[in-house]
Amino acid sequence: MSAPAVIVPAVIAAGETAQSVTERISAVTLREGARPWSPLWWWGAFAFSLGLLGMGVISVGWLFYAGLGIWGIDWPVVWGLDILNYVWWIAIASGGTFISALFFLLGVEWRTALNRLAESLTLCAALCAAIFPILHLGRPWFFYWLFPYPNTMGLWAQFRSPLVWDFFAILTYVLASTLFWYFGLLPDLATLRDRAQSQGLRVFYGVLALGFRGSGRQWRHYRAVYAVMAALMAPLVVSVHSIVGMDFAGSAAIGWHSTQFPPFFVFGAALSGFAVVLVAILPLRVLLGLQAYVTDRHIDVLGRLFLTSSLCVAYAYLMDGFSTFYGPDPAERTMFVLRVFGLYAPVYWGTIVLNILLPQLLWWRTARLTPPLVWGIGLGVLMGMWLERFQIIVTSLARTQMPSSWGQYTPTIWEWSLFFGTIGLFLTTFLLIVRLMPVVAMAEMRAMLRGGTA
Amino acid sequence: MIVAAFATEAGMREAAAEMRRGDPGFIETYMAMEPCAAEGEGEDGATGGSILPAVMLVGGIVGGVGGFLMQAYATTVSYPQNVGGRPDLSWPSYVPATFELAVLGAVVAGMAGFLLLAGMPRLYDPVDEAACLRGAMLGSYVLVVRPADSARARRVLARHAPIGIDEVAE
Repeated sequence: MSAPAVIVPAVIAAGETAQSVTERISAVTLREGARPWSPLWWWGAFAFSLGLLGMGVISVGWLFYAGLGIWGIDWPVVWGLDILNYVWWIAIASGGTFISALFFLLGVEWRTALNRLAESLTLCAALCAAIFPILHLGRPWFFYWLFPYPNTMGLWAQFRSPLVWDFFAILTYVLASTLFWYFGLLPDLATLRDRAQSQGLRVFYGVLALGFRGSGRQWRHYRAVYAVMAALMAPLVVSVHSIVGMDFAGSAAIGWHSTQFPPFFVFGAALSGFAVVLVAILPLRVLLGLQAYVTDRHIDVLGRLFLTSSLCVAYAYLMDGFSTFYGPDPAERTMFVLRVFGLYAPVYWGTIVLNILLPQLLWWRTARLTPPLVWGIGLGVLMGMWLERFQIIVTSLARTQMPSSWGQYTPTIWEWSLFFGTIGLFLTTFLLIVRLMPVVAMAEMRAMLRGGTA
Repeated sequence: MIVAAFATEAGMREAAAEMRRGDPGFIETYMAMEPCAAEGEGEDGATGGSILPAVMLVGGIVGGVGGFLMQAYATTVSYPQNVGGRPDLSWPSYVPATFELAVLGAVVAGMAGFLLLAGMPRLYDPVDEAACLRGAMLGSYVLVVRPADSARARRVLARHAPIGIDEVAE
C-alpha cells in the first residue's frame, strides 16, 4: 500500500506578485492615511513593554546607587540571574542568525519571508544580553577596561581567559549582527523612501537608505557583500555560543569543567533561537496580515528545526549525565544527584519536560500546523531554557567540592526586576522595529517572484 | 542625461542592448531587485564580479593578524604574566579573539567598501530629478544613459515602449 501523498504548502500565497509584495509590506510600515499612527494592539503591547522597561531602569538606577549587594549573589553562588540572563538572551539572539545566514547559504526559499523578523529578534536580544556582563562588573562605569587599549596603568586584558574571549565575541556579534541587519535593509529603506507620500517619511527613510537607488553598480556590490557577510555570520554565531560555553568549561567548578559545553551551548542556542522566532512570528503574521508570506510551510519547517534542536539538546543532557557517572569525580556525581533529586530538582525536571518532552509533540504534522500549540511549546522552551541555565549556574555553584562550602541562592526583587526590565527592553525595541522597518525583506521577495506570480 | 522607465526587465535590457550598439557611452540600469547575472551585459555595471569579497578578505586578515599580534605583544612584551605556568606566548589562547577580530575586520571592511564603491551615502544625485527614477525601487525598470546624440537616444528608447522618458541636466 502506498503512503498517502503529503501536500507541501507553498512558501507564498498564490497570486502574489513582486508588485503586490511591495505594496502590502510597504503599507504595513508606512500606514499613510491610517489612524491611529499604529494599530491598537501595538499601542497596548508598547505600553506594557515600556512599563517593564521602566521597572528595569529603576532597578539599574538602584544598582548603580547601592551596588551589587542588592542582589542575592554571594559565596558560593557568585553568579546568579545576571549571568543566567546573559546566557539566556544571547542564546535567544542566535535564532535570527541561524535562519538568516545559515539558510541563506543553503539557498532555501522559505528563509526569505522570515529573515528580517528573525534578524530583528537577534538584534534586540543581543542588546539585552550585552547589558548583563557590564552590570555584573560591580563597577560598570569601568567597563571600558575590558577594551585592550594603551593606558597609563600599563595593564592589558587577560587574553588567556574565556571571559575576555567572550568580550570579543559579544562585541563582534553585536556589531556584525547590526551591520548585517542594516545592510540587508538598505534596498527596502529605499523602497519606503520612494513610496512614502509625506515629506517627513521620505526624509526619514531617505536618510536611512543612504542613497541606495538600485543601480546596477550598487546591486553588484550589494549581493557580493551580503553573501560574504552571511558566510561569516554562520560560523560567528557558532563561535559566540562555543565561547559562552567555555566561560563555564574554562573554570574548574564541578558541573562546568566539561569539553562538551561548547557544542551543548550551541545546541541550546539553536533551540532558544527557533523558539523565539516561532513565539514572535505566529502572532505577528496574523496581527500584521502576513499570512500570504509567512505560510504554513514556514511554520512547518520551523517546527521541524525546533524539534531537531530539541533532540540535539536531549543528546547533550544525556551525555552530561553519562560523563558525570563515567568520570572519576565523586563531587560531580554528588552534585548531579542533588541536581536531580535535591533542593533545585523542580528546576531540573522543569528543564527536561519543557525542553525535551514537550517538543516531541512536533513529530506530528498536525501539531506543527496548529499555531496555538506550537506557540505554547515555544514559550515553554523559552522558560525551559531559562531553567536550564539556572540549573547549570546555580546548582553547580551551590554544591562545590567541599560540603562545608555548600550554600544556596535566592534571587532578590532587584534581580527579578532587572530581568523583567530586559524583557521590556527587548519588546520595546522589537515593537519599534516592527513598526518602523519593513517586516519582510521586500527586495528578496521580489527576486524570488521575478517575472511572475506565486 | 536621459532616463527611461520600462514595465519589464526584458524591455529595459533590449533597449540597453540597442543603445549600446550605436553609442557605447554611459548606460546604467536601476531596478528594485538584484539583476539577473546571466545576461552578459557588464557595461551597465550590474553584472560581473565585485572586488569587495577580496576587500573583506584583506579586512579579515588585518583584523585577525592585528588581533593576534596585539595579544602576543601584550602577553610577551608589555605585560607578561605567569598564568598557571603557561608560556608567555600561549598562542592557542589567542585563537578565539583572533577569530572574532578577523570576522569583525571583514564585516566592517565589507560595509565600508560597499559604501565607497556604491557611492554612498549620497542623499541627492542629479538623476533624482527624473520622475521616472522614483519607480525604480517600486518595480519599474529604469535605464539611465548619457548619449552623444540625445535625439537618437530618445528614438531608440521610444521604440521599446517605455512607460516614461525624462531628460535631466547633469
